[in-house]
Amino acid sequence: MMFDRDAWLEIFHTVLSNPLRTGLTGLSIALGIFILVVMQGLGSGLETGVANTFGDDAANLMQVRTGNAQLAFRGRKPNRRVELHNQDEQAMKEQVDSVPAWSRLVFRWGSTVRYSNQQGSYNVRGVDPDQREIGQVSLTAGRFISPLDLAENRKVAVLGAQLVEDLFPKGTEAAAVVGEFIQLRGIQFAVVGAFDQAGSRWENRSVYVPFSTAQKLFQNDDVVSRVSIGTGDAAIEDTRDASAGLISWLKNRLVVHPDDAEGVWVDNRNEEAEMFRQIFSGIRLFVWFVGLMTLLAGAMGVANIMAIVVRERTKEIGVRKALGATSNAIVGQIIQEAVFLMLVSGCVGLLAGTWLLHGIAPMVQHEFFSNPRVDFSSALLALGILIFVGVVSAIGPAVRAVTIRPVEALRDE
Amino acid sequence: MIELQGIRKSYQSGAQSLEVLKGIDCTIHKGELVAIMGSSGSGKSTMLNVLGLLDDFDGGSYLLDGNDMGGLSERQAARYRSEFLGFVFQSFNLIGYKTALENAALPLYYQGVSRKERQKQALHYLTKVGLADWAEHLPNQMSGGQKQRVAIARALIANPRVILADEPTGALDSVTSDEVMNLLKDINREGITIVVVTHESEIAAQCDRIIRLKDGRIEDPKAQDDV
Repeated sequence: MMFDRDAWLEIFHTVLSNPLRTGLTGLSIALGIFILVVMQGLGSGLETGVANTFGDDAANLMQVRTGNAQLAFRGRKPNRRVELHNQDEQAMKEQVDSVPAWSRLVFRWGSTVRYSNQQGSYNVRGVDPDQREIGQVSLTAGRFISPLDLAENRKVAVLGAQLVEDLFPKGTEAAAVVGEFIQLRGIQFAVVGAFDQAGSRWENRSVYVPFSTAQKLFQNDDVVSRVSIGTGDAAIEDTRDASAGLISWLKNRLVVHPDDAEGVWVDNRNEEAEMFRQIFSGIRLFVWFVGLMTLLAGAMGVANIMAIVVRERTKEIGVRKALGATSNAIVGQIIQEAVFLMLVSGCVGLLAGTWLLHGIAPMVQHEFFSNPRVDFSSALLALGILIFVGVVSAIGPAVRAVTIRPVEALRDE
Repeated sequence: MIELQGIRKSYQSGAQSLEVLKGIDCTIHKGELVAIMGSSGSGKSTMLNVLGLLDDFDGGSYLLDGNDMGGLSERQAARYRSEFLGFVFQSFNLIGYKTALENAALPLYYQGVSRKERQKQALHYLTKVGLADWAEHLPNQMSGGQKQRVAIARALIANPRVILADEPTGALDSVTSDEVMNLLKDINREGITIVVVTHESEIAAQCDRIIRLKDGRIEDPKAQDDV
């Protein structure tokens, strides 16, 4: 019955016999799906945008930093600078169980970098090899900092895409800068690699050099600015415990009051990431809720229209029954009409929404908004819901059509 | 062909029960052309609905070509309607958005006949009623007489044993009425039993026999005059 050509011809006939009404009903469904699709797309765009902005580093990460201790403690004055030295870092590393990734960092903001006669101000970061994993550095050429670079305090550098663009002749490929030499704060470094963090101008203005080299050449002490610890796939509760344990150990070692909020702290990115996850699952839920409600409103429109159709065609249905149509044939026809109407207009809404997202959205790039898209499974789900809603919305009118008795329908009055 | 015995039918209107058929006994033989006459409220339309399996009855028995029509399910009724009966209505009841050909072919659609065969048959019967040239026209492009002839072609297409015509000329002028009656008589001569409900005595006079209804009963069965 569903794929019977005659059944479809019947449907075309009846659906097209009142184009205005059919069009308006279809519009309400199309609008419902359109809103669902566009909102989904905007939600996903917001999510991708936020993820890009905050996603320079991996989410499974803890960062140990020091600051100014606010409270006096064990004879130390308040408001003093707390520093993490190499031996503290060593001791800390022995304290924690083996972790998936571990990188020390030192920073030199606004360092002059020169190549040939071009120069500019960029950020230099001394790091350990694990930083590649922790910072999710995507190399476009060459290699990252290696353990040997650290052991031998080599003067090697990995350049961000912005440096490649600024310092080298226009159109230079990332691969072509490997092997070149640059002046970093007046010291010559060999370029061993290049990277590009798409969507992050901040990252791309950075140069990675070996931690040991940076500490030795650009610092006159052995202070570690930050330690980044990759937590791998550890559960969020475990990272919470680990960061609490780490902070109390550090406060004890660096003589910081246990209640001091500023002297030393551990940023647990896992918790931030979890928060974002929750926010976005909330947004997704909200989007589906609003979309489904809009769809429901449209479906009620269809149910309403089908009820009118049945009422208007009471006589016709009576005639059909007199000519031998069974109740099943009548119900089938009405449900097929509703589903057909829903599907066609739903597809129109789906296409329009997808077209809008793909055609218009690229023009509105924003820091917190990028690459909105409707994934295929959501689209299929929406279509499935449409069919379901189509059947449900037609049941009432169809049952009414079945209860029409030919004798009442055919009465001439 | 049709045997009715003690057929009763009442309608519920509000708290009151209105008995419309109060025990109808009659037999209509194969190949007869019978008129049912009666004033409005006599129960003639109800009787036609019972005969046409469009409505059930409360008591009595109804044999159609030897088959008991008592207590049919809706599905069975639909099957008997489609195999045994053809309908012609006063207001034609063609489907407005279908052409004459499609209208005539509709009963075969519900019998599951292929589209090609349906169209062939429909054209055959439209030719028979003299409307071959009008096959692709919509009902609103046709005169009343033409519409009724399409309806007759539609009634004939399923090759029924009985055609039930409810005031078939009620909406037509006298010239067209005669055309339609002549067509029905031609069909009757081919052996199809026809029951015509009418209140016009000129129409009834053209039939083999007249059954007169009054207040839900057949008026003096002995007076069922052969014309």
